Amino acid sequence: MFTKILVANRGEIAVRIIRACREMGIKTVAVYSEADRDSLHTLLADEAICIGPAASSESYLNMERIISATVAMKAEAIHPGFGFLSENARFAELCQKCNITFIGPSADLIHKMGNKSEARKTMMEAGVPVVPGSKEPVFTVEEAKAMAEKIGYPVMIKASSGGGGKGMRISYGPEDFEANFQNAQMESVKGFSDDTMYLERYIEKPRHIEFQIMADKFGHVVHLGERDCSIQRRHQKVLEESPSIAISQELRKKMGETAVRAAKAVGYENAGTIEFLLDKNKNFYFMEMNTRIQVEHPVTEMVTGLDLIIEQIRIAAGEPLSVTQDQIKIQGHAIECRINAENPARHFMPCPGLITNVHTPGGNGVRVDSHIYSDYRVPPNYDSMLLKLIVHGKDRKSAIAKMRSALGELVIEGIETNLDFQYEIMNHQAFLQGDTDTHFIPVYFPEYGK
Amino acid sequence: MLKNMFKKTYTLIDMKYRGQTPQEPNIPEGLWRKCRKCGQPIYAEDVKNNYYICPKCKAYFRVHAMRRIEITADKGSFQEWNREMEFSNPLDFPGYEEKVQAAREKTRLNEAVVTGQCLIDGEKAAIGVCDARFLMSSMGHVVGEKITLMVERATKEGLPVILFACSGGARMQEGCVSLMQMAKTSGALKRHHEAGHLFVSVLTDPTTGGVTASFAMLGDIILAEPKALIGFAGPRVIQQTIGQKLPEGFQRSEFLVEHGFVDRIVPREEMKETLGKILRMHRSQETAGPGQDVENGGGIVDSGRNNVDIATQRDASPEGEKTAWEHVLLSRKADRPVAGDYIDQIFDDFMELHGDRYFGDDGAIIGGIAMFHGKPVTVIGQQKGKTTKENISRNFGMPSPEGYRKALRLMKQAETFGRPVICFVDTPGAFCGIEAEERGQGEAIARNLFEMSDLKVPVLSIVIGEGGSGGALAMAVANEVWMMENAVYSVLSPEGFASILWKDSKRADEAAGVMKVTARDLRKLGIIEEIIPEREPADGENLKEIAGEMDKRIEVFLEKYKEKSSEELQNQRYNRFRGI
Repeated sequence: MFTKILVANRGEIAVRIIRACREMGIKTVAVYSEADRDSLHTLLADEAICIGPAASSESYLNMERIISATVAMKAEAIHPGFGFLSENARFAELCQKCNITFIGPSADLIHKMGNKSEARKTMMEAGVPVVPGSKEPVFTVEEAKAMAEKIGYPVMIKASSGGGGKGMRISYGPEDFEANFQNAQMESVKGFSDDTMYLERYIEKPRHIEFQIMADKFGHVVHLGERDCSIQRRHQKVLEESPSIAISQELRKKMGETAVRAAKAVGYENAGTIEFLLDKNKNFYFMEMNTRIQVEHPVTEMVTGLDLIIEQIRIAAGEPLSVTQDQIKIQGHAIECRINAENPARHFMPCPGLITNVHTPGGNGVRVDSHIYSDYRVPPNYDSMLLKLIVHGKDRKSAIAKMRSALGELVIEGIETNLDFQYEIMNHQAFLQGDTDTHFIPVYFPEYGK
Repeated sequence: MLKNMFKKTYTLIDMKYRGQTPQEPNIPEGLWRKCRKCGQPIYAEDVKNNYYICPKCKAYFRVHAMRRIEITADKGSFQEWNREMEFSNPLDFPGYEEKVQAAREKTRLNEAVVTGQCLIDGEKAAIGVCDARFLMSSMGHVVGEKITLMVERATKEGLPVILFACSGGARMQEGCVSLMQMAKTSGALKRHHEAGHLFVSVLTDPTTGGVTASFAMLGDIILAEPKALIGFAGPRVIQQTIGQKLPEGFQRSEFLVEHGFVDRIVPREEMKETLGKILRMHRSQETAGPGQDVENGGGIVDSGRNNVDIATQRDASPEGEKTAWEHVLLSRKADRPVAGDYIDQIFDDFMELHGDRYFGDDGAIIGGIAMFHGKPVTVIGQQKGKTTKENISRNFGMPSPEGYRKALRLMKQAETFGRPVICFVDTPGAFCGIEAEERGQGEAIARNLFEMSDLKVPVLSIVIGEGGSGGALAMAVANEVWMMENAVYSVLSPEGFASILWKDSKRADEAAGVMKVTARDLRKLGIIEEIIPEREPADGENLKEIAGEMDKRIEVFLEKYKEKSSEELQNQRYNRFRGI
C-alpha cells in the first residue's frame, strides 16, 4: 500500500480523496495554485505544495509541475480526481515513466476510450449495442447529407474531438442539415482543430443511464448498478440518482453484464463508467466510457455501501477487488444535487466571490461533500461547483422527501447559487413521477434551458 | 480562517510494506527539456512533436542537423553526401583535434554541417544543415569544403540548393584558412547562380560572423525562423564597442526583414510547406513542361483577343461622358481596388518577398512570386492602403528608394529564373522627403529605367489607378503598358501642373484636360497599348469581373511573348520607347 499520495486536483473531489486517504492511514500531499492558498484541500492535506499561478494551464493542468511536485514530496501515487489531468493519456504515461502510480487505468486505455470513434469501434467488437450511425468519419456536407439519409432523421451531428455540447447539433430533416453540420464542424475546428465529424440517429426522449464498473489487476470486473443522470442543462448534469426508476431488475442485470463485458474486452482496470442512452422502448446504446471517478459517484456509494475512492486506491496498489458481483446489493435510493456558484436568473452565469456564511444539513442518510466554509472566497478561475448534497432513503419517495428537507436546511450566503433551482426540481410534479428524460429542463423549465 | 486547525494523518501503514515499491518515484534523465526562454521544464516528447517549439511560450529550441532534415525532408528521401571528411588542423593548433573529437562523439556527426540530397514535398533539392552543437557550427576548412562540394555538385546536376545556416562564425583554431572558406563558398554560389539555379538560404538562431558575411546572405530567397539572432558582429561585442545598450529586437529576424535583408519569416511548422512551394515555383521550365491548356487554347484565345480589343474600343469610345478631371478623381477614389486586390484575384499562391537587401522594406511596393495558370510569374505592385493605419504603413502608395530597389531586385530574380514580370502601377508619385533624397530617390528611379530596358524576360505594366510621373515610370519600362479605363498617367499631378504653369493649383480640373492624362488620350499618343474597360468605376463589387478580364488579357500577353527570345524582348522594349 502507498504511504503517501499526491492529490492532483482541487475543490470537493480533492477533499473527498484526502478524507479517503486519511481513513486508510495514507499521508496526503495537496497541490494548489496561488488562488487556492485558503482552499480546504490545501489546509486539510498533511502537506501542501504550490504549483503555480491561478490559471489552470499554469497549475492544475501543468503536467511537468505536478510530476516534479510528486517527486519532490516523495509521494508514490497520484490521484487525479476528475477533470483537469484525469483523462490525459500523456499524463498517465509520464507518471509511469517517473515510476509514479497513476490511480486510474493505463495511458493506453485512456487514449483508446478518449477517442470517440475508436471507443465506439471497440464497443461494437465487444458486442455492445451502439446508436445507429456513421462508422466512418465524415468531412464534407455532401458526404454527410447522403449518410444522414441512410441513417434516418432526426440525426445527431457530433465532432470526433467534441465534448460538453461543443461541436454537437441535431438536425430534424434535410432542410436544416447543412447549416447544422457546418456550425458543428466550425465549432470543432475552432475548439479542437479537428474537422472530423460523425453522424448518428438522434434518440428521442432518451435517458442518460450510466453504469459504474470496477476492475482490478486480476481481471475481476464488477458493476455497481446504474446512475440516472437524465436531468441535464445544456449537457451538464444537474442531479443524479441511483437506482433509475426506468430500470427493472432484469434490465439492470442485462445492462450491467454488457458493461462488464465491455470492460473485460478492453482489459480495463480501476474505476470507470460506461454511459448508455436508454430510449423509450428500453433499448440501450453505448455512448462513451469515462476512465475516471465521476462527480456523481456518491450516489453509487450510498446504495452499495462501497467507498469507491478507497477501492480505487486499493486496486492501484495491486490489491484485488474487495467484493464480488454476488455481494453487491443495491439498497434503497440515493439522490445527489450539485450546488454551483451560478445564477439561474442570468443564464447560470458563474458567481464567484466571498461566502459569508454556510450552514450544512445533516442527519440520517444526509451527506455533504464540499470544500466551502464560512469566509471562503470562491476563486473565479475554476469550475463553479461548490457542494454536493447526497441523500439516501429506503425508496425514491423517501429520498426525495429527505432531499427537500436537506435543501431547505442548506444555507450559503454571500454569493448566488442554484440551490432554489434544485429545490424547484425536487418539488416538480414531473420529477416526482419520474418523467425524467434528458429534455426535462428544456421542457419543464424552458426559461432555464436556454 | 481554518489555517492549522486540522489534525494530520496518523499513519496506519506498516512501514515494512514500503519495500514493495522497487524504485522511488524519480524523473528519468532526458524526460524534461528546459525551455531557455520561459525556463519551464517540458516533456521532451511534447517538444519533439511540436517542431521543437516550446508548447508553453512558443520559443524555438535549436534543432540538431539530423532532426532538421527529419522535419524538412520527405521521409526516407535523404541521402548524405561526403559524410566522412578528414580532419584538418592547418595551424597545428594545440588541443584542436581533441576538441573536434569530443564534438564528434557528442554529436555523432563528422563535422558541423551535414550535406546531401533529399525530396521536399516531392521536389528534389540539395540540402545542407549546420549543427550548433558542433563547436558552435563555426566554419573551418571541412565545413567550407562540404558546402562547396555540395554546391558544385548541385550546379552540375541542376539541383536547387537549400542551406539551413546557423553559426558562431569563423573557426578560430584554423586562422586565416577559416577566413578563406567565406570566399570559397561564395564563389561556388556565384557559379551556381550564373548557371541559373536556385539557392534558398534559411537563417536560424544564431547566424553570425563569417557565415552571415558569406553564404547565408547570398540566397536568391532568404528565409528566417522567427526571432533568430542574425548579424555580423555579435550583440555583446557591439554593445561593448559602442558603449550603448542595444534596442529590443536588435539583430533578430524581424529586425532584418524591416531592414531589407530577409525575404520572409517562416514559422518552423510551415517551413517544409514553404520550401516545397518555392521549389515548385522554380522547377526548371523543361521539367515543368509546357502548360497544356495554354498550348491548346492558344489559338482560340489569340483570336479572342481581337474581339476583346474591339470590345474595348467600343466600350471606351463614347466620348465626352467623363471629363479628364473626373477620371483623375476616380483614379484616386478611396474604394478603388489596390494592387493587392488584383494580385489576390488573378494569381494563385502569391508569396510575398520583402526587402531591397540594402536598407529596408518599403510597404508602398509589394512583390513576390505567384502562379498564373500553373506557371510562375513575378508580380510587383505599388500598394495603397484602405484604412488610415494601412495607408501610413504603405506611405499612401508613394514608394521610397528602397521600394524601387526591391522591385528591381525581384525583376532581376525573375530574369535569373526566366519568369515574366507583371507590374501594377498605382502611385501619386515617388515619395518626396528628406530621407528619400538621402538614399537617392533619383538614382533609384533612374536605375530601374536603365535595368528594366534590357530585362531578358517579358514585362507587362498595368496602370490601375494613379500613374504619377517618374514614380510610376520606374515600374513601367515594359514590353506593353496597359491602363484601366479610369486610370490616369501623367508627368505631374494636375494640381502641380496648374500651380507651376498658372500659379493656381485650384485650376487642376482645367489642367487635367490639357495634360492628356486619360487612358484614351494616351492610347492615341501611342504611350500605352491597351485599355481595360470599366463598365462601372472599379470597386469591391465589380473587382472580380474586371480581374477576370485582366486575367484573360494577361494570358494572351504571356502567350504572345513566350516565344520571343530575350534579344527580341529587349529590342522590342527598346524600340517601344525609342519610337516615342
